Amino acid sequence: MRMMTAVAEEDRLDRDATKQVLRRSWQFARPFRRTIRVALLLVTIWTATTLAGPVLVSYGIDHGIAKDDGGVLNMAVAGYIAVTIAAYFIARLQFVYINRAGEGFLRDLRVRVFAHLQRQSLAFFDREKTGVLVSRMTADIESMAELIQWGLLQFVSAGLLVVMALALLFVLSWELTLLALVVFPIIVVASVKFQRESNAAYLQVRERVGVNLSALQEGISGVRVIQAFAREDEQSRRFRATNDSLMDGHMESVRVSMWYFALVEFCGIVAIAGMVGVGGWLVHRGSVSLGVVTAFVLLLGNLFEPVSQLSQLYNTVQSAGAALQKLYGILDTVPEVDEKKGAIDLPTRGELVVNDVAFEYVRGRSVLRDVTLTVGIGERLALVGPTGAGKSTLAKLMSRLYDPTSGSVAFGGVDLRDATLRSLRERVVVVPQEGFLFSGTIRDNLSIARPAATDDEITASLAAIGVLDHFLAFPMGLDTEVRERGSRLSAGERQLIALARAALVDPAVLVLDEATSNLDPGTEAEVEHAWESLMSHRTVIVVAHRLSTVRRADRIAVVDRGGLAELGSHDELVALGGKYAALSAAWERNQVASSPRRAT
Amino acid sequence: MAQTGHAIQDRPESSHTPWRLLLGLLAEQKRGLIAGVIVGLGWAAAKVSIPRLIRNGIDRGIKGNEPLLKWSLIIGAVGVICGVFMALRRWYAFRESRRTEQHLRQRLFDHILRLHVGYHDHAQTGQLMSRASSDLQQLQAFVVMIPLTLSNLFQLVAILILLLTSDPLLALVALAPLPFVNVSARRFSTKIHPAVMAVQQRQAALATVVEETVSGVRVVKGFGAEAVQASKLDSEANRIRAVSLEAAKIRSRFLPAIDILPSIGLISVLALGGHRVLNGEMTVGQLIEFNSSVLLLIWPMRNIGMTLATGQRAAVALRRVQQVLSTTSAVVDPAEPQQLPRRADGMAVGAVRFRDVHFGYDAERPVLDGFDADIAAGSSVAIVGATGSGKSTVTRLLLRFYDVQSGAIQLDGMDLRELALRDVRHEIGVVFEDTLLFHDTVAANIAFADPDANQQRIEDAARLAGAHEFIEELPEGYTTLLGERGFSLSGGQRQRIAIARAILADPRVLVLDDATSAVDPSKEHEIREAMATVMRGRTTIVIAHRPGTIALADSVILLDGGRVAARGTHDQLLAENAAYREVLAALADADAVDVIEVPDAAELERRYINVPDDDAELSMHEPSGGV
Repeated sequence: MRMMTAVAEEDRLDRDATKQVLRRSWQFARPFRRTIRVALLLVTIWTATTLAGPVLVSYGIDHGIAKDDGGVLNMAVAGYIAVTIAAYFIARLQFVYINRAGEGFLRDLRVRVFAHLQRQSLAFFDREKTGVLVSRMTADIESMAELIQWGLLQFVSAGLLVVMALALLFVLSWELTLLALVVFPIIVVASVKFQRESNAAYLQVRERVGVNLSALQEGISGVRVIQAFAREDEQSRRFRATNDSLMDGHMESVRVSMWYFALVEFCGIVAIAGMVGVGGWLVHRGSVSLGVVTAFVLLLGNLFEPVSQLSQLYNTVQSAGAALQKLYGILDTVPEVDEKKGAIDLPTRGELVVNDVAFEYVRGRSVLRDVTLTVGIGERLALVGPTGAGKSTLAKLMSRLYDPTSGSVAFGGVDLRDATLRSLRERVVVVPQEGFLFSGTIRDNLSIARPAATDDEITASLAAIGVLDHFLAFPMGLDTEVRERGSRLSAGERQLIALARAALVDPAVLVLDEATSNLDPGTEAEVEHAWESLMSHRTVIVVAHRLSTVRRADRIAVVDRGGLAELGSHDELVALGGKYAALSAAWERNQVASSPRRAT
Repeated sequence: MAQTGHAIQDRPESSHTPWRLLLGLLAEQKRGLIAGVIVGLGWAAAKVSIPRLIRNGIDRGIKGNEPLLKWSLIIGAVGVICGVFMALRRWYAFRESRRTEQHLRQRLFDHILRLHVGYHDHAQTGQLMSRASSDLQQLQAFVVMIPLTLSNLFQLVAILILLLTSDPLLALVALAPLPFVNVSARRFSTKIHPAVMAVQQRQAALATVVEETVSGVRVVKGFGAEAVQASKLDSEANRIRAVSLEAAKIRSRFLPAIDILPSIGLISVLALGGHRVLNGEMTVGQLIEFNSSVLLLIWPMRNIGMTLATGQRAAVALRRVQQVLSTTSAVVDPAEPQQLPRRADGMAVGAVRFRDVHFGYDAERPVLDGFDADIAAGSSVAIVGATGSGKSTVTRLLLRFYDVQSGAIQLDGMDLRELALRDVRHEIGVVFEDTLLFHDTVAANIAFADPDANQQRIEDAARLAGAHEFIEELPEGYTTLLGERGFSLSGGQRQRIAIARAILADPRVLVLDDATSAVDPSKEHEIREAMATVMRGRTTIVIAHRPGTIALADSVILLDGGRVAARGTHDQLLAENAAYREVLAALADADAVDVIEVPDAAELERRYINVPDDDAELSMHEPSGGV
């Protein structure tokens, strides 16, 4: 079975792009250049040893057997033994060197691309699809791993073999080489054609495999619906269609390859026939020796095979090139939110001032504009407004998850863009809507907020928001793996972890995005209590979805259609009789309707 | 008849080997495989003759007096035969192996689709997917080798005979290293497999870090935790490098050895044979024949070794496949299905009766424990209960996803188990909590229960479900593609399509299982209107937890402890029953949104198709294209 690698036509690199990718890779491989040079040297020597065998046999025949000289024959044998032993060790070494360089290169690539990815702004992550980013770091790099593990070696040595075999044959006998060269172009042309056609066929197979798998997945995960509607026969019929088309795709690719491989086989044998005929005639004429003809018979394989290997590896190399280009593309993306040179630390306390801020995700499509407001030290500000009005965006700007398109956000008189990222994340902490868990223990999940925190500090921060006992009650305490328990860690508990993370940082400003969905009754009270403890003595900006949260805020900012519509306390805004008053009234009604317990 | 619904009817590991399944499959492909083997043998015979022809060409043509052209032409003709037969062998080998794979995949799919829901509750989608993808690939990789391997065996024997009759001692010396090629190839194949799997496992671990970082980017950014994640990735990247270098070590141990082993034979031929020629005991042509024969056998030896290893993996894969195939569905049609009473004009149909129903997913924990309820034809009932009280189980039993452990469920007076499954499921239309839409047009998604339904019926159903207006506004109207890679609809729109789908076949009973739970509360009223319309005059069972939805039903059943705790109208119960109020309040809090995610094709391929193709490593060295 051959590797089935295909490269989409639009991904194929042109000459300039190839040059660029190569140059870039050579730069990137700086730490491994020595290893790569040694590996190349080893491949060259190894390739030479594969050619040495037939030459020695030919030498033994011409100078030993033909001249009745047993000593020369023994020398040829001894030489062959020496070359074989050398070939073995060189082959082992070249594996070691190529892999050391290749795996080191991939390691660096993984680490560098990931580090660069992490420097990108949140807006970047909003724009790019998770799946695409993950596949850059996985599938794209893995496709290169395959190449490095064995393909590269083959590619280089096949290329060298063609050149070296041709040179050697020419030295042995130019007449016979010319004869071989009659067949050679046929193989080259066929190989180029095969490479193109098989690539197209593989692309088609790959696409059909995807369709087939989707149908399979749809059938299995939708089995309840399918059975509920007694749709088994119809679904089976549809699956058969994708299955049949996949089969056709496979056969198409076999059709492409079968005659190509047959041709390679045929040419190899025909070249032998030619050697026996023409070579024999030349021997009769005395212009070449029998040993040379033998060498040609044995060496011709070394001329044709590499061409066929090159054509098969070509797609793999091309797709690796395409993958590299995409990865370098990520490395070239300039982070939108980055630390300035000479950035200063934020003061420990201060007002948060939003000054005439505007923001657009995409040029020309305004999300927020003309927003100006000041949040005092220790003040609690609730942001309310309909979905999509821009309140979450405003919260993100106030914590520099985005940078404003114009205007500024400052803390304690320092523009957030002039501050060090470290001090910014220490002063201003964002607690996201849902408690996202990373695999690892509860402790790991907490210390992500402050890796330097001691165990005591972690315990203290849990105690500060009153949830220490809750987590200590877990079977392994704070060392409980969250993923193993994952499904059992309730939404409320996840929220508690999110809050504890914030407590561990002990920031001056908290930016909270309140969860829209309700929590399990068991932890709701606890979460509410934790929230309150966390928020006391801090400046708080909360994107509010519940009336109770809004009620507890000092001031309320109503964000509507990308602008600040109303700003004031609950009573002021109700008295104003505007948007907030209407919203508040609607809320009251809804509370009563959907939750009788709260109403009573 | 009274089967237990909970047990997965997993037959104990069947005693006969998975090879019987394979033999059955191969028997279906008999003709093509035999043809493949015949052309393969033809190819092998032609190929085997080449060293002898070279020898004759040299001894009789070059050194002797026979015309050179004759030998040249004979070798050329053999070249044609080799090429043609090789092409045909490839063709047959691939066709038959792909067919085997294709047929088995279809069988698996059909089987899985008809297995009872209880089986699917326990089976993981991912595992079933691998059965039908990577496991079948392993099998295909083995079947495709059959003609080649038989040809190789033939070559081996033929050359052995040719050389032994020509010069037994030299033959033994020349061929002695070749069995080691076979052994090494096989050992390599077995050793590299776990190493490659280890690399894939580490790659998956790294993918997890990347996935977590990207989807948890708000946490990472919010706390400036980039360094923490970077160090996690760093250590994973180091681990990948370590295991990859481990695999490289295995390669460096085996591949060079496999490469040079035949050289030992070639050296022996030159040393021993050379002196024999000097002593006049054999001809130069014979020497070269031996030389070419050794070269010719390298690939057959490697292939046979690889096939043995492939065969072992195929056996493991096949056993897993057979495990699925030998599982029988616990819910099947009765031997003699009864007919439901005909729908006569004016007569209301769809009376549902639960009689002392006992059921549990596992034996110790009953979910329904003496559930008794009568739902009159044409009336609507809301079933309300705390999370885990068994509300949704009622739906599943009604659809006969499971069979009751004791008691009975009747539809229009007939026990469900006496009816054909198809009839039961045609007469009961469901709107599930998670509206799974398929990758197909809007029209096809609505016509799910009856693919032959005409446009008129589809539009009628859509109108009733209040979906017609927004469908008309979709870019392609009813032919808009939905689902994965298709147009994405809002939760409410999806629900209305699901309602249209449920009523298209005009079922006797409509079940709305938590149909509004995935909908934004502010949009709930849209669905509620649609529901009210379709419920009119039709037996309807509503499983709901939002008061507004519950109130749509004529009456309410409060479910507690697996039995009916109270029955009355929503207002009655709200006023009189404290337990009812408690349950409603708790449900309002647990209001959660569940979304089923279907990964895209590229992701699927990454997960299920990337089986390590380690034999490819060996065959890359191969002359003339492997199989």
